[in-house]
Amino acid sequence: MRGFIGFTKRNLSIYFKDRQSVIFSLLTSIIVFVLYLLFLKSTFVDAIEGAMQGLEEIVHATDIEMFANGLLLTGILGSAMITVPFNCLSTIVKDRENKIDYDISATPLKRWQIILSYFLASTISAIVMTGIILTVGLVVLSNMGDLYMDAIDILAAYGVILLGSVSATAFFMILMLFFKSSEASGAFFGMLSAAAGFVIGAYIPISQFSDGVQTACNLFPASHVTALFRQVLLTGVLGEIDATIGGLDNGIFVEELKHTFTFQAKLFGESFHGDWSAWYIAGATIVCLIVMIVLYARTYKRK
Amino acid sequence: MEVIQVSHLTKKYKEHLAVSDISFSVEEGELFAFLGENGAGKSTTINILCTILEKTSGEVRICGHTLGKDDDFIRSRIGIVFQNSVLDNKLTVKENLYTRGSYYGLSKAQIKERLDAVSEKLQMQEIWNRRYEKLSGGQRRRVDIMRALIHEPKILFLDEPTTGLDPKSRKLVWEYINYLRREKGMTIFLTTHYMEETRDADHVVILDKGQIRCQGTPAFLKTNYTSSKLVWYAQKSGDNENFIRKLSEKFSYDVDHYNVSFDGNITEFLYEHRDRITDYEIIKGSMDDVFLNLTGKEL
Repeated sequence: MRGFIGFTKRNLSIYFKDRQSVIFSLLTSIIVFVLYLLFLKSTFVDAIEGAMQGLEEIVHATDIEMFANGLLLTGILGSAMITVPFNCLSTIVKDRENKIDYDISATPLKRWQIILSYFLASTISAIVMTGIILTVGLVVLSNMGDLYMDAIDILAAYGVILLGSVSATAFFMILMLFFKSSEASGAFFGMLSAAAGFVIGAYIPISQFSDGVQTACNLFPASHVTALFRQVLLTGVLGEIDATIGGLDNGIFVEELKHTFTFQAKLFGESFHGDWSAWYIAGATIVCLIVMIVLYARTYKRK
Repeated sequence: MEVIQVSHLTKKYKEHLAVSDISFSVEEGELFAFLGENGAGKSTTINILCTILEKTSGEVRICGHTLGKDDDFIRSRIGIVFQNSVLDNKLTVKENLYTRGSYYGLSKAQIKERLDAVSEKLQMQEIWNRRYEKLSGGQRRRVDIMRALIHEPKILFLDEPTTGLDPKSRKLVWEYINYLRREKGMTIFLTTHYMEETRDADHVVILDKGQIRCQGTPAFLKTNYTSSKLVWYAQKSGDNENFIRKLSEKFSYDVDHYNVSFDGNITEFLYEHRDRITDYEIIKGSMDDVFLNLTGKEL
């Protein structure tokens, strides 16, 4: 057990001690934040205000602003949930490339301990980094206004972090087996960083895309994780907006916002309802874990 | 007592035969040297013995335990210094060594005790809290050796440990290796490019294209696979040349002396002609000559 803990600590240290790596792993989140400050916020707010014809006098501007700020937080969290585990797991590729895996293989550590340790370190990294982002985000937002979240909602948000971290790690563990060099994984990371913001709808709401593109984006569990973040973090403020309107629009405005900003992911033209996204993530994670176990059992044995 | 027994070991990568039916044994406390050029199969053999690679066929026993069956036991008894550094650049020397120690189930106190014992000998104190990536080649190698010794193995595998090191670092590394043999009775399994490093070996194996070309003590190999050279300081003359032909047909003249290659022992010849051969030197063949004669290649 000492060896397993030691190796997991080593994998965590390699990620957290490399400041550049930590910053690069948050690059997409930083870009989302900067774009938000530059123009995304005004684009979102303008679009929302354009959709609430006749309700301008009723709906509080601060609630609309808090909704937009909350969207930013979900975008940052969703993208970090992709890039942090990928960056942490690139240790697998570096270890293979530098033959550090030879050194590890010659110790009494079991093969399954080595694989589980990579998995655990990546999951912990993702939980820690997104946990910090969520905590800081909630503190900052609570100073700006009210997100109308209760303790259960906050706990649920951390629950989504846990689920998302395990899911992303399982997915990327498989991917890592296909990279032969750190240059290859680095190049892929560049593409991933650029694409992640679009796939989870951080830059442009996924609902703006065609059904085919929406399906392609929503095949990835990461999109569902971001949708869950929206449900957990923003349902409170939407409930407040709906209560303020007082049924004048039969709830159409809030439903329209949920549709536009993809609170429910859409797959093959069908919208997910209730907690389907959570089940989709859980199912995809189990499939990824099974594939991961099979692939690693075949590739991580002595050659 | 034999701590390593290798019998008919073969390793195949698809069609490529990396190691072909090799057999040898290593005695406890021995300095065992594996010689061969790049691609000869040295590292492959070491990686098999260290449980990293799977053998295709053959049998290997280490410390009395069978490779492939008792691998965990074997791993706890061996330490390896790889050709390339395998420690983490972003971690400090201390963090690297404590982490590696934990892989063997050692507690922090045990690791500290073991590191304290060797850090002075390897002059490590001043680099203890420095990142591994900031170390010089010689310092890295010393840390690599400490890492290999952290669990107090019985056998230390050194895969070209001094390649690329400056003379001072090489000397320090060798002093420590000799200390391990002398004081700790540790068995050292060495692969090297430097022929002079095999001078003190108890047993040398020369590997070429995955096969053992010969093995034995350095003295045995020099005697059997090289010619010695008699340097006779004398004037060049037809009479002297006719005299030399009694010893060997292979000779040449160089400035003020004859170089005469000969096989076997010439003590009797020298004694018989002690009045004529008064100023001379005998230069024995080197391990370079052994390697050259056996493989037709120079290292």
